[in-house]
Amino acid sequence: MTIDRRTILQAGASALALGLAPQGAFAQAEAYRIGALNPVTGAGSPYGSGMAEMIFAAVDEVNAAGGAAGRRLQVFADDTQTNPQSAVLAAKKLIEVNKVNAILGTWSSGVSLAVIPLVNDANILLMHTSGAPALSTPPANAKGYGYRFQATNDRFGRAFAEIAVKEGYKRPATMAFNNASGIGNTQGFKKAWEAKGNKVLAEVVYEPNQPSYRAELQKVLAARPDVIVMGSFLPDTTIILREAFQSGANVKWIIPGWAANPQLIRALGNEATEGVISVDSVANEQSASFARYDAAYRKGQSQPGASNVYAAMTYDMVITLALAIEAAGPGAGTAQINAKIREVANPAGDKVFSFAEGKTALAAGKKINYEGASSVLDFDEFGDVTPDFGVFFITKGQLERRYVVKI
Amino acid sequence: MEAYLIAILIVTAIYVLLSLGLTLQYGLTGLINFGHVGFFCIGAYAAAILSTAGSMPIAVGLVAGMLLAGLAAIPIGLVALRLRDDYFAIVTLGFSETVRLVITSEGWLTKGVQGIPGIPKLIDGVGTGPALMILALVGFANILAVIAFLRIVKSPFGRMIEAIRDNEDAVKALGKDPARFKIQVLVLGAVLAGLSGGFYAHYIGYVSPDQFLPIVTFYVWMAIIMGGVGRISGALVGTLLLMGFLEGSRFLRDLLPFISAVEMASIRIGAVGLALILFTIYRPQGLMGDYTRRK
Repeated sequence: MTIDRRTILQAGASALALGLAPQGAFAQAEAYRIGALNPVTGAGSPYGSGMAEMIFAAVDEVNAAGGAAGRRLQVFADDTQTNPQSAVLAAKKLIEVNKVNAILGTWSSGVSLAVIPLVNDANILLMHTSGAPALSTPPANAKGYGYRFQATNDRFGRAFAEIAVKEGYKRPATMAFNNASGIGNTQGFKKAWEAKGNKVLAEVVYEPNQPSYRAELQKVLAARPDVIVMGSFLPDTTIILREAFQSGANVKWIIPGWAANPQLIRALGNEATEGVISVDSVANEQSASFARYDAAYRKGQSQPGASNVYAAMTYDMVITLALAIEAAGPGAGTAQINAKIREVANPAGDKVFSFAEGKTALAAGKKINYEGASSVLDFDEFGDVTPDFGVFFITKGQLERRYVVKI
Repeated sequence: MEAYLIAILIVTAIYVLLSLGLTLQYGLTGLINFGHVGFFCIGAYAAAILSTAGSMPIAVGLVAGMLLAGLAAIPIGLVALRLRDDYFAIVTLGFSETVRLVITSEGWLTKGVQGIPGIPKLIDGVGTGPALMILALVGFANILAVIAFLRIVKSPFGRMIEAIRDNEDAVKALGKDPARFKIQVLVLGAVLAGLSGGFYAHYIGYVSPDQFLPIVTFYVWMAIIMGGVGRISGALVGTLLLMGFLEGSRFLRDLLPFISAVEMASIRIGAVGLALILFTIYRPQGLMGDYTRRK
């Protein structure tokens, strides 16, 4: 068979026709384009693919419910490589080539800080899970288009201080993983703790990827603390706790929930983890939205949804955004949609737990308050959430929630 | 689309400066520098600190970055007198990691792991116009570097460093002192890397220590190996090729949506690795040929 001009034209035309074919009921309105910009590789890789997948899952859910304001959601995914330079190019590509209307799910503070100027220039929204306080205020968040679905590291630190007071600890020391998040936690603790007129006995910042942290641990234990407050991640926490246990140190631990989790207990056993206090923003675990998220996460990643708190956040990002689009009505631009985000997520409205539920309530003319899978999702004037913090004690290998701290 | 292409070209041009520096050091002089990113980092941080905390004009930061990077190369050059080949490579690798750790620890100056946000842009403004101006500026720096490079190659200095690369003992036997030339070459390459770092900081607008990992050095190595060692055209083509690999995968994802992001990341790295293997088998002299092909 010879390929002549006509054949090529026909092939091209049919390919075009396929691409342009209306998909379901969404033929008329232009799709709302979402850029899923997640840390699929690099330091964020334990979370990134789950975060991306939950964006797709939530988008499927929204589209199955008929889309938002008649618009289908469409996702363009890219990898930040947890690296600001790569993230900048990825964001440029999403903005320029894919013409996205919002970027969802940037993870580390460095990446979000590098991406947010581009978002401001392009007049689109950024929803991120980074902890750095600088992301709340101008110049970074000059237009108020940035939303943080994670508690700031500072808030975590304040929660740690509340817990230390409540548990009656007098002689705390801190250990922090040397990155913005780790140090943010312990600095936040120190600030809140010293504001109460107390003193921190020892502070150690350690480098990542060490086979042993004995030297750092000895330095901290030399101050004879009664509790060690950690700004840490799972791999290093595993080693530090094991070495502390082996040395027979009699000390308690306050550790962020992403490090003190079931995987830690599995790695160390019940005895070494007994009495560890694990603090996490209260994922709305009892909520219907969490159940939906959990089911989607188990299906995609064959793991419980609670193992990736950031994936719950990206899931919530899509639902919140879709509800805001729905509330803003057809043809709304970024500014109108942005104006609706607090309206659909903050209190003084009927609590809703899914997009479909919210859509129905909005159609009935009601005010709604989306309660997310990651937290109750109420945004302050900076676009930050202030979740409540659940205080879990590890007893006999189980994470047992004793109480909730509000800050 | 244009703005994205311009962004890629700007980043490419920034990397070309790095490649030119390494071409000078390895391609012409045979110094295996595995610590190129250290000088890049010094330039970036000098520009970042002076233009934010120091509120200096951007030009001051760029020049300071070049000078500091050049100065930092002198002790490395002194080490180079005693070490050759792989031993020197290890020292330079250690140097770049040392730079990164110093920046991580000296929080009072560098804000440590938090990084320095809000570094002013080279040219302020939104849209294609300012972006093109930035590209023109970085491109201009590239042209200056290329002119300087050409002059070096054609000078007695250039013949000397190439002689050092080809047979250092013969150079010594002729009564020449290779050490001095090696230091000079290291300083020159470092100055280029420092300038590149300054542009990088002002373009990305945010620097933190984890942007200056050894992978950056090896990207530059990949670029000059694919392009052709010891040639300007090699540095240019190799860097373009590398950016093509790194950025092209983003588009591949849109075309082949069934490939997951994790797989795509592996494919990207795998493709670069495969290209390197194929190059070493079928075209070890690089796409443009190495210095032996130079007229």
